Amino acid sequence: MTDGVRSESADGARGPNGSGGVGGSAMPPADVAMLAAGLGVALRTAGLPAGPERCERLARAVTVMHASTIAELHACALATMVSDPSQIDAFERVFAEMFAGSLPRGRPAVAAPQQGMTVEPADSASPADSPSQAAAGDLPPVLRQVDASASSAGDGEGDDLPGVPAIRRVASATERLAGRDFAELSPDELRQLATLMRELTIAVPPRRTRRYRPRKDGARLDMRRTLRQARRTGGEPVRIARRAVRARPRRLVVLCDISGSMEPYARALLQLMYVASRSSGTAGLAGSLREASRPRTEVFTFATRLTRLTQALAAATPETMLAKAGEAAPDWAGGTRIGAALREFNDRYGVRGMGRGAVVLIISDGWETGDPALLGAQMARLHRIAYRIVWANPRTQSSRYRPEVGGMAAAWPYCDAVVSAHNLEALDELLAALRSPAVRRPPVLPAAAGSTRGEAAPGAGQPGPAGAAPNAFNLPLTEPIARRWTSWR
Amino acid sequence: MSSVVSAELGERFPDVAALTAALDKTGYLAGDQLSAALFLAVRMGQPILLEGEPGVGKTEAAKALAAALDTVLVRLQCYEGIAAAEALYEWNYPRQLLAIRLAEATHEQLKDTDLFREDYLLARPLLTALDHPGPRPAVLLIDEVDRADDEFEAFLFEMLAEAAVTIPELGTRRAVIPPVAILTSNRTRDLHDALKRRCLYHWIGYPDAARVAQIIRRRVPAASSQLAGEVAAAVGRLRGLDLTKPPGISEAITWASALDVFGAAELSPEAAGQTMSVVVKYPEDEQTVRDVGLASVVGHD
Repeated sequence: MTDGVRSESADGARGPNGSGGVGGSAMPPADVAMLAAGLGVALRTAGLPAGPERCERLARAVTVMHASTIAELHACALATMVSDPSQIDAFERVFAEMFAGSLPRGRPAVAAPQQGMTVEPADSASPADSPSQAAAGDLPPVLRQVDASASSAGDGEGDDLPGVPAIRRVASATERLAGRDFAELSPDELRQLATLMRELTIAVPPRRTRRYRPRKDGARLDMRRTLRQARRTGGEPVRIARRAVRARPRRLVVLCDISGSMEPYARALLQLMYVASRSSGTAGLAGSLREASRPRTEVFTFATRLTRLTQALAAATPETMLAKAGEAAPDWAGGTRIGAALREFNDRYGVRGMGRGAVVLIISDGWETGDPALLGAQMARLHRIAYRIVWANPRTQSSRYRPEVGGMAAAWPYCDAVVSAHNLEALDELLAALRSPAVRRPPVLPAAAGSTRGEAAPGAGQPGPAGAAPNAFNLPLTEPIARRWTSWR
Repeated sequence: MSSVVSAELGERFPDVAALTAALDKTGYLAGDQLSAALFLAVRMGQPILLEGEPGVGKTEAAKALAAALDTVLVRLQCYEGIAAAEALYEWNYPRQLLAIRLAEATHEQLKDTDLFREDYLLARPLLTALDHPGPRPAVLLIDEVDRADDEFEAFLFEMLAEAAVTIPELGTRRAVIPPVAILTSNRTRDLHDALKRRCLYHWIGYPDAARVAQIIRRRVPAASSQLAGEVAAAVGRLRGLDLTKPPGISEAITWASALDVFGAAELSPEAAGQTMSVVVKYPEDEQTVRDVGLASVVGHD
């Protein structure tokens, strides 16, 4: 280390800013530390997770690389202070603020920014405040959620779980709420429903994993345990230990429409997700029983844009969650672009792994303001990777409802179940749909899905197997809707 | 890291440029920031997390680094449900049983510690990398760590932070020469902050057309520079088409070699049509490309 710095001094003396003299080494260790710490503080202000540990690492990196130019310092800082592509923009902004402004792009010695550094705290104090406001606007959602959940954790805990134990005795007033449509409930009444929702358990079908657990009647030998036990019996494997493949619940991915018309339902169902994930985690009695089938849940909301709420689900109340989603998509009154949102989900999360083998719950009324063909194509993609797609559409509560045109018609062939989930009683149907195992059915061909309904066929240009396609409506719906649909036909 | 090793590495790679040149020699063209990050990983002995879209050369970077260091590459491909037995070590049970039988036959006294010795240990990738005798550190590639589950991530902490693993029967084993650990992720899920905190980080973006052409030239020496340039430009145009699976660098390389197999000296619409299947992997995307027109994709308007 020391010899690194010493050799650096020779180098630094060449620099335009070499402060001259023996102490003119471009970077005495103390200054590197100051520099790293200063950058760390500025980055923290911008919302990056730049703790002391990272600052120390930056200082070490600068020393190892003998960084003497801004570009080299930039490379060091980029490798040490950033750990997510969404942080890069904020990083570049802070770095530019600190270094680019005061210095020409040429070949300035690192010693120079130290002057900038001393000014920096005062200098950045004012911009740091307004950017932190603005930063809330253009920081990645993940960061903001962490931020907000941290700040709201305190009051959130307080008013959502007012010490009400999840017991079976429920006020009759609350029970009367069970049959009422979510859209008719006031926020207070909705909160009352949480007690009832706590008794519901969200479960999804299990999936075989590659891990094993000891089991007496397991199909495979557990050699490690067998031999370990054999040591007690003089090396003779008397007791044969067996193991079986462990099953884990599938991932549950919830895509929730929060546009104007869906808002009350979204609020209620997000509350359900929130309460159900909490109660099984803490209550224990129902939790331990259902442990194996409690899913890992990912929650997204969309109106015109997709927002990931999974982290908010862990810490905040449903109210905060919805408020955050509204903030993130300020144009939410402008209509719903389900197809675009699904596309974003598929591209960024679903196809990469989150959607694979998952149970996908889409909560939306299917009012698509975008192109239904896009929705159909994206549903087809999702259908190919997901285990099951359940669509909760409050409009299907009406017996007159039929998926004739628009978004719902395009999406219909790819749904494994469509439920209404419009009030507490209807939630049973939703839970059953989430729980039931997938039924293998012939793949839906995009061209066929379009032509069956005489919609603008998305794959019209494709040559094809359109004629050979199975009836797009020949699919297992939940019973009430299936009955309705066939009788109507 | 022992001082001898770090001194040797320091000699080999005094600065970033030296590492860039060494990577270049192995056929990997690293951008400035990537080689700076790799340089820091090697010299600081810190694990590095490489992220980027599929096909930008994350795994290749590890391979090239191993070649540049002239050392072994130990690769651990992660998948859901991967556990210690696959990643770290397993006892050699048949051999242990045999030893017991043998001891019986020769009326030897067998002690517990006799069975749980090094001889009966099957090293899996992580242990192999730790045990690498040198002279230079092994490059440990933990590929697609996002595919493994959270438990496995936590399991990696000791390994990454201390370059040590704990085997209950043998105790903690510390690496003589800590490996250079490279983790890659496709971002199918967010990695735990605790893991990110332990790692240097670099996001590998898609390079510009000129660099893609350079890479193609490097990887498909038979391709003329004209062909390489045309393929790079065409892949750039395809990436602008909003496809389901935008082609990456690896597709560009495969495309160039496919064209070479066909004996095409330049990228004509016909040649592109024949070889389209190596770049475009979805029927929807192929339709999009044909709608736009092959001629405009290859740049013959």
